[in-house]
Amino acid sequence: MATANCWRCLGRPSTQRLLAPSSLASFRAPTSVAAFTTSATLLAKDDNSFSMKGHIRSGKRLVLGKKKKGKTDRSKPPGPGERKAFRKRIQLSNDNALKVTGLPELEAQKLVDPAAVGQIVSLPSDLVDQLRTAEAFKPTQNWGLFRSPHMLVRKDTVDFLGDLTKRVGNKETVRTVIDGERSVGKSMLGLQTMAAGFMNKMVVINIPEAQDLVEARTDYSPIPRTTPEQFSHPTYILKLMQAIRSANEEILSKEIVKLEHIHLPVSVSRNSSLASLASATKEPEFAWPIFHALWQELLQPGRPPIMFTLDGLSHIMRISDYRSPSFNLIHSHDLALIRLFVEALGGKTYFPNGAAIVGVTTKGNSLKVKSMDKALEQAAADQAGLPIPERDAFYAKYDERVFEALKGVKVFDVKSISKLEARSLMEYWAASGVLRMRVDERTVSEKWTLAGNGVLGELERASLYVSRL
Amino acid sequence: MASNLSPWGACRSLTLRTRSILQHAERKPAAPFHIARRGLAGNTTSRDPPSGPGSDGALPPSMAGHSSAEKSYTIPPPEQFAPNWLNADAIAKLEQVAAGEDLYDEGVGLKFGKLDELPGKNDHLQKRYPEVIDQVTKLLMRDGKLSKAQRDMSLILNFLRTSSAPKVSPLRPLLPGAPPAHTLPLDPVLYLTLAIDSVAPLLRVRNMKGMAGGGNALELPEPMAARQRRRVAVMWILDAVNKKKSKGSGRAMFAHRVAEEIISVIEGRSTVWDRRQNVHKLGTAARANLNHPALLAKRRK
Repeated sequence: MATANCWRCLGRPSTQRLLAPSSLASFRAPTSVAAFTTSATLLAKDDNSFSMKGHIRSGKRLVLGKKKKGKTDRSKPPGPGERKAFRKRIQLSNDNALKVTGLPELEAQKLVDPAAVGQIVSLPSDLVDQLRTAEAFKPTQNWGLFRSPHMLVRKDTVDFLGDLTKRVGNKETVRTVIDGERSVGKSMLGLQTMAAGFMNKMVVINIPEAQDLVEARTDYSPIPRTTPEQFSHPTYILKLMQAIRSANEEILSKEIVKLEHIHLPVSVSRNSSLASLASATKEPEFAWPIFHALWQELLQPGRPPIMFTLDGLSHIMRISDYRSPSFNLIHSHDLALIRLFVEALGGKTYFPNGAAIVGVTTKGNSLKVKSMDKALEQAAADQAGLPIPERDAFYAKYDERVFEALKGVKVFDVKSISKLEARSLMEYWAASGVLRMRVDERTVSEKWTLAGNGVLGELERASLYVSRL
Repeated sequence: MASNLSPWGACRSLTLRTRSILQHAERKPAAPFHIARRGLAGNTTSRDPPSGPGSDGALPPSMAGHSSAEKSYTIPPPEQFAPNWLNADAIAKLEQVAAGEDLYDEGVGLKFGKLDELPGKNDHLQKRYPEVIDQVTKLLMRDGKLSKAQRDMSLILNFLRTSSAPKVSPLRPLLPGAPPAHTLPLDPVLYLTLAIDSVAPLLRVRNMKGMAGGGNALELPEPMAARQRRRVAVMWILDAVNKKKSKGSGRAMFAHRVAEEIISVIEGRSTVWDRRQNVHKLGTAARANLNHPALLAKRRK
């Protein structure tokens, strides 16, 4: 058996070994930090290691006592990411559906006008592009059934956005959680909020799926010189920053960098625009410092107001699946991007230009987080002027940081739609040729009742699908 | 060596005729090139079904008039107090009261009045799903998971709704009287039904064990009922689907593959058509066995 070292110098490892680079990481600058990955490297087989199991043969492997395998599949397997792309594909038009003409286009005024309640409006194509870049559309929504994206302006929309735009216009900070029953239209209201943000010239930052950040799906790395230790998601933040840049390019390209950014790994000149700052790097390693710099710039007085939305609030109100170098589970609020959102939602960040911080809860895919439920219950009671419900005295696992994050937020409860709104929606479906049925009072009230008294998602399921979905 | 040539060989290629002979008298001159004929579908250009007082509105509402579709869509104002069935009921009741009648005269003690005829044990007021949808859903079901099968069915119909209109091949004509292909995606149930009914075989070949003599089975063609035919067609389609490779992950993949196969059936690309043809060929050949002595002897008994 040959060894790596020669017999003579058995006592010490060969100089060749010592000279060889042990890993690429050792050549990096000392300030850089190697990103952790979520793949289990320990489980991967080390091919170089000599194991005593089995007999080693060069070239051929003798297989005894096994039947020959059947035909191997020689067709090309789907490429990396292709299968997920199929799953998450968002289709916004259907050429088979009929074109519905004569519907008004969405304007900023339409979303806050009480007279527009119950109207179906079409989304202008620029806005569709922006919303698509911000990932406001969800694969579970039924955009793909219709000719072009349209939406219903409902009473909740006008109530919520009227209040929001007025207060942001007064440079206040709106901190709201959109809550409601399952499939009642919470994410859709989130989309309408973003639409209002884009049309009112706000800088819209959207985290489309909060669970992507906590379920150990993307890489993460510690941020040096932070106490308690914080972690960033380099690749995710880079993508997010690119999305922010392309969705808000019109606003960001007009704003000029005001602060000195000496500590940044890339040089940022004073006269460059915020859009160029956002696209300053393509290295995931530098994503967090630059994103943080962008955030600091946006917080300067005289900037446009910020809209920061996050879908799937309950996912970030728990301990994440990531582990720190000491192998402890990391609390979600120690992940830097989530911390940014949570501090804004909890009122710790001061926004001189006004801001809208909107968290959307999800009921379909969510965990039961008792602390969040209680905190929202308390916030709702506080808002309504009712006595604040006490915490359960027999539940020991309340998370104080969750209560801190939801301190003083407004809770907006999305309710079901009225029959008038249901009627105009069903008329739109029928005009598109998707609903093949006479739309009169009887059918509307039948479907409205079947849909749990106007739960929007259930209304779709009751009227658009032959078989249940 | 005996020659295989005989005029009777030509009869082999005769296909089953589903239409009466009378109509063949008024057959149009043959097409300039060879096209498979299929009853009404002999005219392979897709066309609108006859629209008249007799036809019960086979057209989707969208196609009823192009002029109305182009008219601008305005939301009609809500009719709060329009005459409707609720109002009519209420007014009738009020008139009853005014006439001094008892409101609940008819069927004393019954909440909704007396039925003319009592429903039978298996009668339904209304079926929940169309017949084909019900049957296919249950054929898609694995391990008794009906709810999963229903979701698959729904996704299949959705896929048919969103994919582009099929191009019907003249070599594989669909059922006679099929609506034009471009209207199919907007009516996915009809789309699915048409695909299944078009490839469904008309007959099956039954093997009578040992009846041909010398231990050979006697092959006999046998007609099938509509539900059986659909079942065979769906099983063939599912066989073809299971041979396809899954290209994606998640719940929509199976439905995606089934829907693609349905489309390829309509477009005439599917291998299911060959299976249908084989069965029909075998059935045609086995027609001769209907007069087999063993069978006649059995019938005489």
